[in-house]
Amino acid sequence: MEKELIKLIDTTKCTACRGCQVACKQWNEMPGLKTKQWGSYQNPPDLQWNTWTLIRFQEYVSDKGAFKWLFRKDGCMHCTDAACVKVCPSGALHHTEFGTVGLNSSRCIGCKECVSACPFDIPRYNRETDKIYKCDLCYNRLRGDESPSCVKSCPTGALTIGRKDAMTKKAYARAKELGGDANVYGDKFVGGTHVLYVLDEKAKVYDNLPRDPSVPFSIIVWKDMLKPLALLAAGGVLAGSFLHYILHGPKLPDEPGPNEPGKEEKGGE
Amino acid sequence: MRKGLIQATDGFERIVHWSLALSCIALCITGLGMMYQSLNFIGDMMGGLKSLKYVHNFTGVFFGVALYFTIRMWWKEAGIFSMPEDLEWIRCAGGYLWHVDKVPETGKYNPGQKMFFLAVAGFGAIMFLTGLMMWFPLSFPAMIVRLMYVLHALGFVVIFAFFFVHLYLGTIGSPGSLDAMLTGWVSRAWLKKQHPKWLKEMEEHGTLVVYGEEKTAAKGHGH
Repeated sequence: MEKELIKLIDTTKCTACRGCQVACKQWNEMPGLKTKQWGSYQNPPDLQWNTWTLIRFQEYVSDKGAFKWLFRKDGCMHCTDAACVKVCPSGALHHTEFGTVGLNSSRCIGCKECVSACPFDIPRYNRETDKIYKCDLCYNRLRGDESPSCVKSCPTGALTIGRKDAMTKKAYARAKELGGDANVYGDKFVGGTHVLYVLDEKAKVYDNLPRDPSVPFSIIVWKDMLKPLALLAAGGVLAGSFLHYILHGPKLPDEPGPNEPGKEEKGGE
Repeated sequence: MRKGLIQATDGFERIVHWSLALSCIALCITGLGMMYQSLNFIGDMMGGLKSLKYVHNFTGVFFGVALYFTIRMWWKEAGIFSMPEDLEWIRCAGGYLWHVDKVPETGKYNPGQKMFFLAVAGFGAIMFLTGLMMWFPLSFPAMIVRLMYVLHALGFVVIFAFFFVHLYLGTIGSPGSLDAMLTGWVSRAWLKKQHPKWLKEMEEHGTLVVYGEEKTAAKGHGH
C-alpha cells in the first residue's frame, strides 16, 4: 500500500505530559468520566470507551537497582493482520487505505467479539450506546492530510507519523542510537503493526504489553476453518441428497398407502 | 383424516418439534447474517444488524426451552441404542445407501434418527450454553470466550449440515414421513416399512390408535 502510514512512539522521549491523552479526547469529542485516586499518576487507571489512548506509568527498578519511570502510550496498534477485523460481523472494524484499523461506529452492533479477539486488549464497550470504541488514528484527520491529534499535540517529538518504510527505518536507527536493551516493537508480529514503539527496555518489562502477540489460534480455527467448512458441509449434504435421490431413490412403503396412487382396490378403506 | 391411518405422534410432540425446528431455522438464518458479511443484508428486514443480533439472542432462549422439552420427551425413545440390532442397522446403513436384502427391523426411531437426535441434543446444548456466554462475553475471561466462539461455530457446522439431511429424509427422501410431524397420522404401509418393530409393539400392547376405530388407548409421554 502506497499510502501506508506508521505512527512511531519513541518511549524514551516521552515525558508523560499526557497532552496526547487530552488532545485525543478533545478531537474525538469524548467526555471525561469521574475517576479515582489509586496511587498512581496513571489516570484514568485503564483504557475506557471514552479514553482511547493512555500513558501508562510504571515504576521500574533495573537489575543494578537503578530506579526509573517507564512511560508507555497505550492504544490501538493498528495491526495488519487484525484479529478484530477478522471477527467483526458487520464490517464496522475495517482496514483503511492508510493500513490502519478504522471503526465505523454506525455499523457496530455491540457483539463485543473484538474485545475477546484483540491480542492487545484495546476495544472497550459502552453499555449505554451498546457499541465498542477504540482509536482510529484520527482517520478523519489523516484524510485531510493532517497528523493524528496525539501526534500534533506531542511537545517532545516522542510521537511522529509518516510513510511506513521511512518510519521503520527511523525506529531502527533510533534503537541503534540508544543501544543497550533498546528495541523496536511492532513490525515483527500480526503482519506488522501501524504503531511502532521504540522501547528503552525489553518488551517483557512493560506492563500490559504482550511479548509475542498474535491472532489467537481459536480465532483462526473459527474464521478460517470452520466458517468455510460450514458451507462446504451443507453443500456436500445437499449434493449428496440429490445424488441419493436420483441414484438410489427414495425409501417407499412396499404397498402404496391411501394417499399414494397405486392399487385402487386398496384405496378408500 | 381418513379411516385406517395410524397415530404416530401426539400434539405435544409436534408442538415441541416445530418449536425447536422453527427456532433452529431462525437461528441459522440470523446466525448466517452475522457470520458472513456478505449476508449482512438479512438484518435489513429486521431493522438492522443490531436488531438481528437481538432476534438471534432471544430466539436462542426460546430454542433452549424447546430443546429441554425435546430431550425430556424423546430421550428414552431416541437417546438410547438397543443392541445388537441397532449396530447391525448401522453396519448396513439402514439400507439407505446400498442394496440390503434384509434390514434389521426398527422401532419408533431407527439408529440414524437416534444419531440425529443425539447430535441435535448434544450440539444444541452446546449452542445454547456457548451462545449464552457469547451474549455476555465481558463476564468471562477472554481465553474462555474465544473457545466458546469455536464451539459455537463447530456446532453450526454440524447442525447446519444435519439440517439438510433431516430435510431430505423428512420429505422427498422418504415419502410419507412428513405426515408424522404434520398431522401425526401415517399410513400403515409406511409404518410397516419404516418402523415395523414399533408397529408390532403397539399391536401387542394394544396401544395402536387407528383413525375411525373406537379404541382410544391412553398414549403419550406422561406430560
